[in-house]
Amino acid sequence: MRPEGQRLEALAERLRGVDPVLPSPAGKIRGWNLVAAAVEHSAARRPRGRPAWRLTLAAAAAGVLLALGAVSASANSLPDSPFYPIKGALEQVRGDLAFSPSDRLGFHLDLAQARLTEAEAMIARHRIDLADQALVSMDEQFQEAADVVAAERRAGPALAADLQHRLQQAIESHDRQLAGLQGEVSNPTAQQAIVRARDRAAQVLEGVANNAGNGNPGGNAAGKSQGQGQAQGSGKGSPTAHPTPKK
Amino acid sequence: MRAVARAASDDDRLLIERVRQGDQDAARTLYERYFDRIYNYVYARLGRVEDAEDLAIDTMTRSLTRLDLFHDQGVAFSSWVYRIAHNATIDHYRRQGRVILVSLEHATLPESSDPSELALQQLSNEELREALRQLTDEQQQVLILRFFQDLTAVQVGEIIGKSVGAVQALQHRALASLERALQGKAMQ
Repeated sequence: MRPEGQRLEALAERLRGVDPVLPSPAGKIRGWNLVAAAVEHSAARRPRGRPAWRLTLAAAAAGVLLALGAVSASANSLPDSPFYPIKGALEQVRGDLAFSPSDRLGFHLDLAQARLTEAEAMIARHRIDLADQALVSMDEQFQEAADVVAAERRAGPALAADLQHRLQQAIESHDRQLAGLQGEVSNPTAQQAIVRARDRAAQVLEGVANNAGNGNPGGNAAGKSQGQGQAQGSGKGSPTAHPTPKK
Repeated sequence: MRAVARAASDDDRLLIERVRQGDQDAARTLYERYFDRIYNYVYARLGRVEDAEDLAIDTMTRSLTRLDLFHDQGVAFSSWVYRIAHNATIDHYRRQGRVILVSLEHATLPESSDPSELALQQLSNEELREALRQLTDEQQQVLILRFFQDLTAVQVGEIIGKSVGAVQALQHRALASLERALQGKAMQ
């Protein structure tokens, strides 16, 4: 029997000799078409450079916006923007106008998506603290949505099942997005924040599924306390806290 | 492909900057540079042409559209792309509900008269790939990157976030596990 070192070296050498498997030419062309379309779309959304005249124009535009009220400026503002707290007030108004369970669920899912988009933007700007807050807020919105589902179970089980399906799909879709983001970020703190966010969302999902199985009309207490616990320190009074107060 | 695998990363930086400015030609160059390598990596992991193609396209799309998340702080673009490919693979396993494999390091294998003498040259490439897929996620990753992709231990360490020493130790264990897997196959 040959010594282990020699055997493993021979095995390594055999692995080096394995021919690479190449994609089919058609597959490669299909891939490029898809990638090119995505790159073009991405470039169209990306802000361009800021020459002086553009800065001047932006300043003028800012003046107009101030004159019209900061409301419109806040619509797409991000957590590091001074307009961000106004966005919360606007979201609250929208929430107050959502009367049906379906609308309320849609409202919370929209806000969860908004928080995820904000988190991605904050990671790109190296504001991991704000990204973490946004992710905590995202999961709070999922929990709020889960509470809507739980409340509806008493009144209309059929509708509750439909709402639950929408919530599950939303959480799964967000999880895929977060998984992709997790693979793309190189900052370990950001990666940890994403992992925590995925865990919290998974708990909400589990709570909803358990409640459905048990016929429990109540909310997911465990998930709720988890969400609130994680939110500690994100600072309700902080100017950068998530904009929409809980209903 | 092996020569390309060692392609300089300086050139990548220039191309990345151009892609950030919306230059499609630069994106095409990076695509051509990495697609085959990523496809080969993913195929070695999954063993299915259709899945490998989809995941390689997905990896290249993510890499070239999310360059705002790539910060060149000592990590090469190629390492970043491999990480994305690795995460896409793990996600694929998760979606398929595939069981995470346990290590073969301490597996009990059938005895033979001389189990160490494997007829390596008689094994087909596909048989080797199949045996490799029985290893743990980390072991597969190290062997594929080191021997199929021809990367150095330093480069592999950068991709999987381990020191060179840890990569070498992992490589040794992975080869030993692969040998056991092949012996087990030969005994069947």
